[in-house]
Amino acid sequence: MAYVALSEAEKTFILHGVEEDFRCDGRSRRDYRPMELETGLVSNASGSARLRLANTDILVGVKTEIDVPNPLTPEFGKLEFFVDCSANATPEFEGRGGSDLAQELILSLQNAYESPYAFDYRTLCLIPGQQCWKLYIDILILECGGNLHDAVSLAAKAALYNTKLPRVTATLLDAGVTDLIISDNPYDCTRIGIDAVPLLVTVCKIGDYCLVDPTAEEEVCSTVSMVVSVSMRNNEAYLSGTHMTGGGSMHRDTMLNSIQLGLSMGEQLNNLLVKMLKLEEERVGPKRPNTVGFLK
Amino acid sequence: MLRITQTKNTLLDGATIADQLYATPKDCEDFFESIEKPTQVVPVPRSTFIRAGVLTTVRGSAYMEYGNTKLMAIVAPPRELVRSSAHRVSMGVINCYVNFAAFATGDLESVPEREKHLGSMLTKALEPLVCRNEFLNFQLDIRVLILDDDGCLLSTAINCCGVALIECGISTYDLITASTACIYRGYVFINPTAKVEELLWQHRGGNALLGSSSANSDKDNDIQEHGLLINASMDSFEQLAQCQQCGYLKPETYVRLLDYTLEINKSLRHLIRRVLSDRVKEQHLLDMREQEEERLEDKRLAAIIERLKQQGLHEFIQSNIKEDQYTKK
Repeated sequence: MAYVALSEAEKTFILHGVEEDFRCDGRSRRDYRPMELETGLVSNASGSARLRLANTDILVGVKTEIDVPNPLTPEFGKLEFFVDCSANATPEFEGRGGSDLAQELILSLQNAYESPYAFDYRTLCLIPGQQCWKLYIDILILECGGNLHDAVSLAAKAALYNTKLPRVTATLLDAGVTDLIISDNPYDCTRIGIDAVPLLVTVCKIGDYCLVDPTAEEEVCSTVSMVVSVSMRNNEAYLSGTHMTGGGSMHRDTMLNSIQLGLSMGEQLNNLLVKMLKLEEERVGPKRPNTVGFLK
Repeated sequence: MLRITQTKNTLLDGATIADQLYATPKDCEDFFESIEKPTQVVPVPRSTFIRAGVLTTVRGSAYMEYGNTKLMAIVAPPRELVRSSAHRVSMGVINCYVNFAAFATGDLESVPEREKHLGSMLTKALEPLVCRNEFLNFQLDIRVLILDDDGCLLSTAINCCGVALIECGISTYDLITASTACIYRGYVFINPTAKVEELLWQHRGGNALLGSSSANSDKDNDIQEHGLLINASMDSFEQLAQCQQCGYLKPETYVRLLDYTLEINKSLRHLIRRVLSDRVKEQHLLDMREQEEERLEDKRLAAIIERLKQQGLHEFIQSNIKEDQYTKK
């Protein structure tokens, strides 16, 4: 994580705040910082989202490409994550400085999205065994204010919601070869179901207490944190990938408590995110225009 | 369809690659039918062999066999950080490098990705173990060479590195032990073999779980949990150093798998402790023998000095000149 210099006194101050359930910015241990979310702002990408979680700023773009599915999974499309830590975020990311952090984020996202329950890869199928969509999810970290895992996963989910795959029709040519015709109408598109798409929740242990959404300063004080990936299905929370990070260890019971906390926070976050995305689409999203006349 | 890696391997061993190339989802089904499914969960480790100090070229090394999984860990003494941001580091840095031997696995394509993943997870697991405050501004390089892959790679690597670290004399907070458990189609596999892991891995991105013919797939409430849990624990204070899970699990199942792995870790801990104390005894014996030899040498030298004192230099040299049997004639 990005480096923040803190003195012992500052650390003690943060620690005491956490103990009192009244953190430096006035939140309790189970509160998130305010978020700003905007979708569909990159016109060159099929889907995009920008998330600002207090000081953390994430931009996600989704590109699409047609690929050949894996022979073992003929009905499945593909996903690929890429994280770029911009040197604007902190000077430490200059050159190859951010590659470790980026690698960690990519691995946790891949792990979370791996299960076919977490992300329905069949929606990306065009012709089973022959053609499928491959989505490139490019994540750009513009500013680093702590809690990157959560912010990145929220932004990725929003960008997937915003992604519009052009409608494809196929014609069968000789010898079983198929020809794809991609629709020219930008409004003639299909969407990706995001109901079960997982969110990552970082539960951070400071002193004896667990909290969510740590700021960069709080991350410095924490000994260990647990990244919990929560996927909602039929109103039940499932774990789709967890791991510990931060160089500390914790007791079994503490870990189970933090997973519980992560699950309940993930559930709330998920509901709120879906609600806000729908609201945004209703209010400012491009309503499908009624095509009039001969120019379609 | 043939790629370079594949051609290379066809020359070595054509059969396995051909299997890989033409594997279909149905083969996975058939394979699952064919394997022995555990009827009850017995959380015991596989038959294990650990040996500390297998190499003389490095300070700390260990070799471990866990069933058919074989690997080797090498720990070099800490060396100074070369990175420019060294002054900012308040703790020692651990770097883990995992390498597959060229013959370790049949699936060559995914090797670089797996190496990277294993390396980063291994680093995370070992960070809480090592007393990193003891070597500020130093980095510790840990290398793992996988000789044979039959599942449970990460947990075996963690166990082996724990032994190698102690062999190297790096101070640690505790002994670390790790184990793997997975669940697939309702069956709990303790210490899954490479085949089972592969099944799980391919089906994580595969469609057998959702029903390959998509006929019975839309029953959403019929979710087949699947997942793999790797747990590394330090039992003196019941701490978990790393707990990594993938797949799709209910929280209750997660706890169940966690408790199985903790139980395996406990029995592995006894084994590792015995191996280490045996190693210390062995080393002690070696040291004693060395001391004995040294003492003999000292005695011999003392006798020579004594004679030198009595005889004087010239006489001593003369008495030590042995006549050459050839020139005598």
